[in-house]
Amino acid sequence: MRALILILAAICVLPLVVRPAIASEIWIFAIFGLGLNLLLGYTGLLSFGQSTFFGSAAYAAGYLLKHYAIGIPLALGVGVGIGALSALLVGYLCVQRSGLYLIMLTFALNQLFYFVAYQWTSVTGGEDGMPGIPRPALLGVDLRDPQHYYVLVSALFLIALWLMKRIVESPLGKILQAIRENEVRADAVGYNAPRFKLAAFVIGGAFSGAAGVLYAMLFGIVPLEAIGFVVSGNVVFATLIGGSGSLYGPIIGSFVFIWLSESMSVMWARWPLLLGVAFIIVVLFFRGGVVEAWSRIWRFSKRTT
Amino acid sequence: MLYALMGLGLSLITGVLNIPNFAHGALFAIGAYFLVTVVGFLGNFWLGLLIAPIGVALLGLLIEFAGIRRLYAAGHDYQLLFTFGLALILNELIIVIWGPVGISHLPPTILRGGVDLGFTFYPKYRLFVMAMAGLLVVATWLFLEKTRYGAIMRAGIENKEMVSLLGIDIHKLFTVAFALGAYLAGIAGALTAPIRGLSPGMGIDMLGIAFVVVALGGLGNLLGAIAAGLIIGIAQAVVAAYWTEASTAVIFAVMAAVLLVRPQGLFGIR
Repeated sequence: MRALILILAAICVLPLVVRPAIASEIWIFAIFGLGLNLLLGYTGLLSFGQSTFFGSAAYAAGYLLKHYAIGIPLALGVGVGIGALSALLVGYLCVQRSGLYLIMLTFALNQLFYFVAYQWTSVTGGEDGMPGIPRPALLGVDLRDPQHYYVLVSALFLIALWLMKRIVESPLGKILQAIRENEVRADAVGYNAPRFKLAAFVIGGAFSGAAGVLYAMLFGIVPLEAIGFVVSGNVVFATLIGGSGSLYGPIIGSFVFIWLSESMSVMWARWPLLLGVAFIIVVLFFRGGVVEAWSRIWRFSKRTT
Repeated sequence: MLYALMGLGLSLITGVLNIPNFAHGALFAIGAYFLVTVVGFLGNFWLGLLIAPIGVALLGLLIEFAGIRRLYAAGHDYQLLFTFGLALILNELIIVIWGPVGISHLPPTILRGGVDLGFTFYPKYRLFVMAMAGLLVVATWLFLEKTRYGAIMRAGIENKEMVSLLGIDIHKLFTVAFALGAYLAGIAGALTAPIRGLSPGMGIDMLGIAFVVVALGGLGNLLGAIAAGLIIGIAQAVVAAYWTEASTAVIFAVMAAVLLVRPQGLFGIR
């Protein structure tokens, strides 16, 4: 309950502090992170190819929005569907393997999708991206106003959070956690582990797809990078920095990550270098994420007083 | 053959150290850029080919010693984040130091031009690269198969606890394996420079291919990595002759097809 109040407060305060576009981006990235965390945090599958689902959905929905002028509900539906479908394909190839193999395979398949998007210029625009994606009105509300769009994004985020909470607390969620803890035992008590892992991939992909569509409509463009491996890495980073053990971890991570990258990108054009440095500092000194870092600082300050 | 070289180095690192090395592509790119810089200073391609990979190996030594060493107990997610961060840093450093625009680099004078093979006309330099890469693959294989230290390294892939129980410094082994893997990536990059030129994105493209080679060959299966590298290289060359645009995608399609039939990879046991 306390977490919910905090999130609602954050939703209200955020647009007063930062530009609405950045505020929207934070919640979109949080939806993306929720999807990954079902795999990473709850099932123990480290997927390094989440941008496959994010980017495919963004391209598919973007194309339909641009050329067939579909509405927002249909665009979201397409995004969720494409995200889930691409995750089904990738997951089907990957769930047999775990650990290092899984990381490498999800990454390699991510590269496959990337190269398809790169070469298929007639649809995706290749290196230039797919520009000119409209933001149609919904129920008579003009969403071209960034503040209106922010309301839509944060409402969808709340729905996504509620759904994910239901999923992880459902029997399915418990089975996934059982697989994370001990796959052999989960298999032995009669749960078909690969099939449940595949389900986690598909659900995670659906969330990523929704985030991808919202992202495309937010910026009006699907850049080629949206399907690239850097986005996959960023969402892993955001989830880990927030703490992959909890439902709310990716949300905190999304805040930190978007804030970090926004403030770095105005400092220097070569900001990914700083981002890389941030990754390494976190890995070497703040393993366990923000929550742990906070408690460590807390303990330190108590000791000094 | 270059793919086999990359796959061999990566397979060695993943097999011995048990980490996902996302910086392997960046090391490849650094190898190419080192070559160009050394040749620029000394004006001699052969010295460049000798020095550049050693530089990359030293860089690998530093990376292992300063960073990866602290992360063996940390879990794959943090190891991944570390090497991914490293890849970002190296990639951006390349842009900062050598500029974002691609550089072309000519092979040395004796290796320019082509040879008539009877049925086709083939560039001399490519033949040289094939021979050189083949030589390196054989040398690495002999080192691993015939020398005492190579045997220790293979044992390290099989069972780390056992190796350290036998009184062998496992951390030294890890460092050597990483440096050797980095050396192979570096020399592959240096050899590539005159063929395809240099661009900051070259490392990322190669990284995906190297992972495919390792996944196909089976983790830690060095002979498998060599064979998979050859298969991928040939598949790409054949497709490139008919449908150039798809030649990169086909690598991943081959992998997907193989994994459908054999989830453990072509030569994997686990």
